Amino acid sequence: MINKKIKKIIDTIFFTEIIRGMALTLKSFFSPAVTIQYPEEKRQPFPGFRGQHAFVRDEATGKEKCIACGLCGAVCPSKCIYIYTKEDPETRKKVIDRYEIELLRCVYCALCVEACPVGAVVLTENYEYSEYTRDALYMTKEKLMDNWDRFMAGEKGREYFKKFWTPGKDSFRAYPGQPVFKRQGAGNKEAGAEGK
Amino acid sequence: MGELEIEPEGKEIKTKEISLSMGPQHPATHGVLRLVLELDGETVVKCTPHVGYLHRGVEKLGENRTYLSALPLTDRLDYISSMSNNVGYVNAVEKLFGIEAPERAKYIRTIMSEMTRISSHIIWLGTHALDIGAMTVFLYSFREREWLLDLFEMTCGARLTASYPRIGGVRNDISQQFLDSLYEFTQQFPGRLDEYETLIDKNRIWLKRTKGIGVISAAEAINWGLTGATLRGSGVNYDVRKAFPYDSYDKVEFDVPLGVHGDVYDRYRCRMEELRQSNRIIKQCIEQLPPGPILSPDAAKFVLPPKEDLFKSMESLIHHFVLMTKGPLTAPPGEIYSASEVPKGELGFYIVSDGTGTPYRMRVRAPSFVHASVLPRLCEGGLIADVIANIGTIDIVLGECDR
Ligand code: SF4
Ligand code: SF4
Repeated sequence: MINKKIKKIIDTIFFTEIIRGMALTLKSFFSPAVTIQYPEEKRQPFPGFRGQHAFVRDEATGKEKCIACGLCGAVCPSKCIYIYTKEDPETRKKVIDRYEIELLRCVYCALCVEACPVGAVVLTENYEYSEYTRDALYMTKEKLMDNWDRFMAGEKGREYFKKFWTPGKDSFRAYPGQPVFKRQGAGNKEAGAEGK
Repeated sequence: MGELEIEPEGKEIKTKEISLSMGPQHPATHGVLRLVLELDGETVVKCTPHVGYLHRGVEKLGENRTYLSALPLTDRLDYISSMSNNVGYVNAVEKLFGIEAPERAKYIRTIMSEMTRISSHIIWLGTHALDIGAMTVFLYSFREREWLLDLFEMTCGARLTASYPRIGGVRNDISQQFLDSLYEFTQQFPGRLDEYETLIDKNRIWLKRTKGIGVISAAEAINWGLTGATLRGSGVNYDVRKAFPYDSYDKVEFDVPLGVHGDVYDRYRCRMEELRQSNRIIKQCIEQLPPGPILSPDAAKFVLPPKEDLFKSMESLIHHFVLMTKGPLTAPPGEIYSASEVPKGELGFYIVSDGTGTPYRMRVRAPSFVHASVLPRLCEGGLIADVIANIGTIDIVLGECDR
């Protein structure tokens, strides 16, 4: 009891708790910095990042993949996709005429990617899309396909569709190699943690 | 010395109450909360919160979207804990449809909810301490938050507005890298928590600013409709995760920390303890995570068909089109209320379905709105400096409050 009282008095006089806090600050002072100096140093987003849109260019034909079904526009929560269609005079099929996304209203939810039955629209890893004018963020088909060439073409795009164009068959079943927890070095460290 | 008399004729100094408008752009009001304070010197005589600066009509918007398209709206309720809002919403819709997510999806959702709780509580801790005057904690807490946001990004592609759960499961599977990194996080996080506590737990300024401030008794807290840690700080044992377990909360062990005095300090202690418990839940979930489907295979009417099937089976294609344009047309008519424990308290969704693909009515019981209403009770009679402590302690986010 008396010990406690003395300790309290010492704590009060010598500011022990504040000194402890300061010591922690001093310790962190010499540990490596965790911040990123943004404009000079850029951070690579993880695959599947939901950045600015791109319109998929079909590798076989070099044209857009879109079949003008209008699902992406229908599901879009902010209703910012405008799809105008026309009839192809040769094949008499419905094709896309103008495809425009008003990015200032987009909420980057990726539901359009999920809705598209052919995988014709993706979200790229481009996160630096601040602009000075509104027009620059009103995406036309050409600008969107340009984004594809810049950010997603090739292996990256294929990987994206393999992994993030969901739901796939694997969503409905257990598949080999499904990530589960694996105990590393089973025993020593873990047993201690569980013992308490 | 008679000459020192200032008012030789005995005139009284007149004082009067002044009215001060705090916010909506005040850095300590956590968003766009506006308080009109009637002050007598430094004492708050009357406090009137004005809300609605961030009103976007989420409930009404929800009525005009399909069940799936309404999901991103819930991200923007409490925008620093979007994942738990999503989970609350999909759980409500699943209850309405009478379907259930598979086991693995439930575990993943539990993990995500608890990660959100940690990230929300540490942002609360940082800003609350910053408001009261302890800046260092803010910097430390953002270090851990960054780790969690990276993990969110790894899984769903977005750091804040997740939109990750889906009706009947989750959007995509988690990766091994995610699991390993998260496990590493759960190993390190208790140490980091100790660091925060070293900084403020016993700090005399912190104690002076928080002990005995904003006291509310258990009975009163219940009457005001408080939930979450704001309620538990007064010693009421109510946690939706324990009372009405959803997802995998009935399969993991955790304690519900309770306060005694119902003051700012006890609520702070509650949340700190909750951080430890969340960490414990995540760890158990990772260890128990079973392999299996992440979208319910039995609820074909309500979940999207696999993409591989779209051009192989006509039914799948039609089903996909209908779900995307009109929503699930087989939604059973009826109404449900479903609550979940988000970091701020009890988030409830009351959904009325008329059998079409869009909700007929979607009402959101937002904990922040209820908590904002208790502010006058906490502030009146106290000092103006304590108003800041009180705003911090009820942990409100105005996006959720104004909806
Ligand atoms: S990401 Fe979402 S909001 Fe943006 S265009 Fe696609 S569906 Fe619409
Ligand atoms: S992008 Fe996809 S969903 Fe949108 S109109 Fe084209 S094919 Fe249909």
